[in-house]
Amino acid sequence: MAARHLVIGGGTAGMNAIRTIREEESERSSITLVSAERPYSRMVLPYYLDRSIAESHVFTATGKVLADWGVTAHLGKRVTALDTSASACTLDDGTTIPYDDCLIATGSSAVRAPVPGADGRGVHSFWTLDEARGVITQIQPGGHVVMVGAGFIAFTILNSILSLGAKLTIVEIAPRILPRMIDDTGAALVQAWLKEHGVAVRTGAKVARIEDVKGRKRLKFAAGGDLVCDVVIMATGIKTNLEWLKGSPVKVNQGIVVDEYLRSSVPNVYAAGDVAEGRDLISQKAAVHAIEPTAQEHGRIVGANMAGKNVRYRGSLIINIVEVCHLDVASFGAWDDTGAEAASSVKADRPAYRKLLWRGDRLTGAIILGRSSDIWTVNDVGMLKGLVQSGVSLGRWKAYLKKNPFDVKPAFIAAKTTSTLLPETVLGRPSKAPGETPVAV
Amino acid sequence: MSVLKLHPEKCTGCLRCELACSYMQTGEYQPAKSVIRVSPFEGHTSYAPYTCTQCAEGWCMTACPVGAITINAVGAKDVLDDKCVGCKLCTIACPYGTMFYDPATRKAFKCNLCGGAPACAEACPTAAITYEDVATADWLGDFAVERTARVLAEAR
Repeated sequence: MAARHLVIGGGTAGMNAIRTIREEESERSSITLVSAERPYSRMVLPYYLDRSIAESHVFTATGKVLADWGVTAHLGKRVTALDTSASACTLDDGTTIPYDDCLIATGSSAVRAPVPGADGRGVHSFWTLDEARGVITQIQPGGHVVMVGAGFIAFTILNSILSLGAKLTIVEIAPRILPRMIDDTGAALVQAWLKEHGVAVRTGAKVARIEDVKGRKRLKFAAGGDLVCDVVIMATGIKTNLEWLKGSPVKVNQGIVVDEYLRSSVPNVYAAGDVAEGRDLISQKAAVHAIEPTAQEHGRIVGANMAGKNVRYRGSLIINIVEVCHLDVASFGAWDDTGAEAASSVKADRPAYRKLLWRGDRLTGAIILGRSSDIWTVNDVGMLKGLVQSGVSLGRWKAYLKKNPFDVKPAFIAAKTTSTLLPETVLGRPSKAPGETPVAV
Repeated sequence: MSVLKLHPEKCTGCLRCELACSYMQTGEYQPAKSVIRVSPFEGHTSYAPYTCTQCAEGWCMTACPVGAITINAVGAKDVLDDKCVGCKLCTIACPYGTMFYDPATRKAFKCNLCGGAPACAEACPTAAITYEDVATADWLGDFAVERTARVLAEAR
């Protein structure tokens, strides 16, 4: 009998797994997808918010595509229990689905800071498509939006809010912005840049309560004056969607513990994306990354392994980029490694900053800030990623880069980074184009 | 498939490839919009062009959350403008630094081998860029090692 694959979750990890199963399998299998939402890309919701794309653009697979791929889809349904001894799951409508192997890719959800009024009218999260729909109708030209939280998620929608003509204030409980993406120096530069672009930032600000006032919202703080606005967006963190797995023997630490093949403690159950505690490429330690590129690579590895390949995963590299009013802000790898040797440089004449981190003569992390219109910034973003990803030995180029962190290219080329990178592939073979997936194996 | 083979020892730094590339890709003679980039070596006494290797993984393509990067008829990774939303994931996923982003159009762009007739190779007066049916390779590594020796010695 053909294998029966069950994919729980239709986000990046789940959809990449499904596509890769179809690419890799030698015999047509049965694939069942259970997803609480129609498959869409969370990455592009900011562009739906600023109305540069239509809502239809966010979907990663329509009903027709799923049918073409031969996927039995249970959309709008949630798995309530996983019986690993019987290899079957139960849905919230009572349906039972038996499987031979299963992928858990249920992602994460937004959490709001636990303050009175955080669940009131006019207070939004921006994480799911439904939440995006809720926000898009509320932001008006000339309106005032307060964003609670100054992390990566908040910054992905900052440009969208400004381009809709709204006034924006960011409030952050920590003493600085972007605490999990860049260092203090970088954060100070971004904060100054925001001020120049008319965005008010209040750090070290603890929201005490959110109240209604004459159809608007008022935020009261533990210290400092009130803020009155039209819309509050809570970007105060995310949590993995794993409550439903309680009581199962699948081992969960920060996320589902997986081996280098992304198998959980139950051999025919895999995990991928935000819920998986996989290996970090640089530290080689277990970590939950909760970023799009990790979800995508995890999904492809699991898909290949469900299709009977035995693809080992090297580990995932933390990579983040946000554009803040035409300033690119990116970080790679172990940019916050306090045990690393570091060199940094700020340009006095323009908003540009580099920090490079080393273990021995290998680059293990980097932070880069520069104008989006500066092609050298964009190219160096990629080359720094390549140096960290490949782990090439830089030898004497290390000293050069420490003195000249804005001149990455000669070091990249002369260290023969390209030679190291060219044989690297995630699945051990050339990738296929998105439209090339065989749909009728 | 055919790829751009780079012969750095033949490059004179004339930048015709950048002009031709930008004109072909954007309709403007604007080297800033070229996806082949000429770099100086050894205090501007040597030059070498650098562009996308059309790597097997296609890090840009697999990273794209909306399937906006595909493989075109001649085997090049190519951005589909109507699908690209400008999220820049490809620019941090490409480990070679050969993805580009145009703030005016809010789209990513890259070398697509001009659909099989690369303008850079045609424009190069010294055949430092040729379009050949060979496996892609690190065309510049050895050249760069040789032509950076002095710069590197000074950095110690």
